[in-house]
Amino acid sequence: MASAIERVLEIREKALKEIEEAKNLEGLAVIKNIYLAKKSELTSLMGLMRELSQEEKGAFGKAINDAKQAIQDRWAKKAQEMEAKKLQEQLEKEAIDITLPGKEMKAGHINPYYIVIDEVSDIFASMGFEIVEGRDVETDHYNFELLNVPKDHPARDMQDTFYINENQLMRTQTSAAQAHTMIKNEGKKPIKMICPGKCYRRDDDDMTHSHEFGQIEGLVVDKNVSLADLKGTLEMFVKKMFGEKREIRLRSSYFPFTEPSVEVDVSCAKCDGKGCAMCKGTGWIEILGAGEVHPNVLRMCGYDPEVYSGFAFGVGIERVAMLRYGVDDIRRFYQNDIRFIKDFNKN
Amino acid sequence: MKVSLKWLNQFVKVDDIDPEVLASKMTFAGVEVEEVLTLAKATGLTIGHIIECEEHPNSDHLHVLKVDEGKYGIHQIVCGAPNARKGLKVIVAKEGAVLPEVTIVKSTIRGVESDGMCCALYELGVDKKYLSEKQVSGIEELPEDAPVGIDNVLEYLGLDDSILDLKLLANRSDMNAMENVAREVGALLNRPVSFPTYKVEGKFKSEYTVASKTQKCPLFGMREIKGIKTKPSPKWMQEILTAEGVRSINNVVDIGNFVMLLTGQPLNMYDADKLPAKELVAVDDVEGPFVAMDDKTYNLEKNDLLISSGGEGMCLGGIMTSKACEVDENTTHVLLEAAVFNGASIRRTSNRLGLASESSARFVKGINPDQNEYVMEVTCALLKDLCEATAASETVIYDTLNHDKKVVNTSLSYINGRLGTNFSMEEVVEVLSRDHLAPVVDGDSITVGIPPYRIDMKEGCDVSEEVIRLLGFENITSRLPASNPEVKGGYTPKQLNKQAVRRFLRYSGLSECLTYSLIDEKHKDSFCYLDNGENYVLMNPLTDDRKVLRKNTLYSLLSVASYNIAHQEKDLAIFEISDVDSKAKASTHLSIVLAGISHERGDLVKKPYDFYDAKGLVEGILSLLGIKENRYRIARIDTDKAEFHPGRSAAIYVGRDLVGVMGELHPAALKEFGLGKSCVGVELDLNYLLDLKVGQDKASIPPRFPSMSRDLALVIGKGVNYADIKNDIKKTDRLVENVSVFDVYEGEHIGAGKKSLAISISFRSADKTLTDPEVSSVMDKIISALRIKYNAEVRS
Repeated sequence: MASAIERVLEIREKALKEIEEAKNLEGLAVIKNIYLAKKSELTSLMGLMRELSQEEKGAFGKAINDAKQAIQDRWAKKAQEMEAKKLQEQLEKEAIDITLPGKEMKAGHINPYYIVIDEVSDIFASMGFEIVEGRDVETDHYNFELLNVPKDHPARDMQDTFYINENQLMRTQTSAAQAHTMIKNEGKKPIKMICPGKCYRRDDDDMTHSHEFGQIEGLVVDKNVSLADLKGTLEMFVKKMFGEKREIRLRSSYFPFTEPSVEVDVSCAKCDGKGCAMCKGTGWIEILGAGEVHPNVLRMCGYDPEVYSGFAFGVGIERVAMLRYGVDDIRRFYQNDIRFIKDFNKN
Repeated sequence: MKVSLKWLNQFVKVDDIDPEVLASKMTFAGVEVEEVLTLAKATGLTIGHIIECEEHPNSDHLHVLKVDEGKYGIHQIVCGAPNARKGLKVIVAKEGAVLPEVTIVKSTIRGVESDGMCCALYELGVDKKYLSEKQVSGIEELPEDAPVGIDNVLEYLGLDDSILDLKLLANRSDMNAMENVAREVGALLNRPVSFPTYKVEGKFKSEYTVASKTQKCPLFGMREIKGIKTKPSPKWMQEILTAEGVRSINNVVDIGNFVMLLTGQPLNMYDADKLPAKELVAVDDVEGPFVAMDDKTYNLEKNDLLISSGGEGMCLGGIMTSKACEVDENTTHVLLEAAVFNGASIRRTSNRLGLASESSARFVKGINPDQNEYVMEVTCALLKDLCEATAASETVIYDTLNHDKKVVNTSLSYINGRLGTNFSMEEVVEVLSRDHLAPVVDGDSITVGIPPYRIDMKEGCDVSEEVIRLLGFENITSRLPASNPEVKGGYTPKQLNKQAVRRFLRYSGLSECLTYSLIDEKHKDSFCYLDNGENYVLMNPLTDDRKVLRKNTLYSLLSVASYNIAHQEKDLAIFEISDVDSKAKASTHLSIVLAGISHERGDLVKKPYDFYDAKGLVEGILSLLGIKENRYRIARIDTDKAEFHPGRSAAIYVGRDLVGVMGELHPAALKEFGLGKSCVGVELDLNYLLDLKVGQDKASIPPRFPSMSRDLALVIGKGVNYADIKNDIKKTDRLVENVSVFDVYEGEHIGAGKKSLAISISFRSADKTLTDPEVSSVMDKIISALRIKYNAEVRS
């Protein structure tokens, strides 16, 4: 009996030693076959049980089961270690140069012209304005006549306007779209709109002039709309567009479609109004033209100027972009040199 | 208009105000001062008397002068002016004098000591364009009585003046007259304004007549003046004209210019003795040559305004007198014309002939029609005073204008309502009074009289402008317009979709461009597929390059690619969305250009852009807009133009409408645009796609039963489209859920003219789990259908 138990312990020690010395998972599999299979020596030793007394059976059985359990546990532990090591080796082998280029998923760029249009549109849309896009080809009637620029007015000179025929022309201002909206409303509905878009003038192209250029013009028509509403609206716009600290000032000016008319200066963002090269030392930069809608315009577009009043304003897109981004030449916007456009991103 | 502050000061006191401050006040009130100029800028001047003039020993043109500078003593000055001579009184810049270009120091010139400099006026900063040739070529010759040794030389010369250079807005034509500038400044500063009065006694009755046969001349006033002597103008007048930027010619011409500057009324003078008849008639129906006083011949057209006498053209109305009746130094007998001409007519003629003058500019902008008599009285008084005229006639006039005083009725509440202000009646009345509008108040209502020079003022809104521009815009308290539920505001769904397309393309790596809508005639039909209407063509283009309004945009974007490629930026992905117009339709197009190499991982993984890049973007846009695959189809482009590669391009149709084209460029087009080896172009009728009605998204319930999948390898003719195979498989049985291609092969292992497609088909039933035999039976149907229709060789 004692020798049988001794034999069990012997096998146990041998097995544990072999497990410890196993080189790889294959070796471990062989060990498992020898010591833990159904027909292993330990299992066959169970045959001796029959010859043992009840008392001895207990002790011998326990010794065998303990030995099996110990081998099983050690084997499992060893196998786990080896698998972990093998995986580790595989992962190390799979390591790559993380500094090589990734898949190109970069967003494209944007001509700064559109950044300005989008921003101005977003600001006014958030202030409850509608965005109306007119057409580039307009009639004389909508581009001039309805906006209080009668025939023979110098602004209608052939020198300044591209004509297609006597009645049709390339719009010189996006406010033509305002006239369309007013006429469409038949003098009834209030209006709060901006119209962004391209305009055309018969200017030779140079650093600051372009025969095509972008403009955003706004119009508000309702009862009791005054210059105070214009001033408040433009102040809000300027702060949202150019920063909280910006201020505006109004200067008397002249446009045929507004009376009174004003030029709107914005305090220079670069020097904070102290005076610098950008604002030519004045601390102010001229950005917008605006005014209270001329009663003639309301009348001609079907609104009763005794009941309705309104204000209008206009801003040049490239001019804002040039000031904001330090663009030296208006022609760059139309050249689309990718090296220029690459500097501009927008989400 | 140039405003001499010295002259202005004769009418309203301004000599106690910094010119810059005055300029800023005027600018904010709507009379923009572009620049404040000083006539001359020099210190350390005096007047000297040349008492000796010797040749310089070491020079063939220099003189060595001894100049007596009175209390400053006698100095030796080396001078190069050819007119330097003994006895001459000259301007001397003493040692230490600062002139615009130079500071005077004692020096030695070719071995001779020189202490000071004798000056020409331009050396003091006077613009050469106001000076005669003689004044520019030598030193200034002062009169014999010039006081030697004085300090205030600029004052003596009348050059101690500042000039406000006005940039006039179209509505303030009245600012073209000094009298009105004085009235404006008086109103701004709240100071009294006064003008001298002119009166000519003993006027005779002229035998000459005036008439007008055209509405372009509604008023023609004339006076006859006799016994004129032409000579240089007095110094005070020369000084004013110089300050105003007008060159002094002689007393007669100068008076004409002076009165025009003073009153804004252009004048013309005729040598009466040279007129063919004792009449002046305004006509507008003469054609043919006209020889003007500049010795050039101009071709008159019908509608040009002409002043004729005895049937001969004497003056191109408001623009230029004829050679035939020009006033010259021998003239003694003058007809003075002060008329009102139609500005538009003058502008047309002046633009056509390229002839513009101070006179024509004033007519074009509009003049005061009510001051004719006054202006001629001033002129005649000056002609008598300065030209020794012996007699002036009464006015002979043709006048069809209504000279009733203009009155505007408005009210305090209207003015405050328009401005958004709370001005009191006292404030408004005060400001309108100093603006010379003579307000009369009755309760809330205000009646103002419009001065005749304010031809811009017509109604209440004009009065409100006067109030705010003179009181200042800082009086307006900002507020925001009340919101009105009738205006929805914000972007429309269509605008939001357009923005989404732009974002999608930018996020896909494309850059957004902006190109000119005007293109050259040669390319008006380049890459035109979506709109074949007739182009709009400009009547008056500036250049041939910008003559036609484009109706498609891809050509412009290809030009952008070509520009960049020429500047070593060879790999591009760009797009533009732009409105397009033709006589047939107006739309908004999207074009895309992919040129060169697509860098999928820098230079590590790259491939040339091809048709499928374009197709992917187009499908992405369509899916973004909710346009399902069954709404559109693609087909080969039906064209014989060598623009797209015929085998690698496609047209996109919705129903029968062509809505887009896309594809690799034809080798010929690649060459023409300098686009390298590979370039893909797309143009979509974006407006059409944005307007297309699409169904609302709705949830689909995930299927309950599993799907089964089978693969199929087909060998078919190369020309067979995958899309046809796919459709046919789908149509075979409703258990077919999806068909996808996972391999395409052409090459040596299959026959020439053949290709092999490997296709995966998935099957699903909504009612149960499918069994192998069920799927196999459908597969058999599919295989046999493909065999029959496409003669397909099927390998499983």
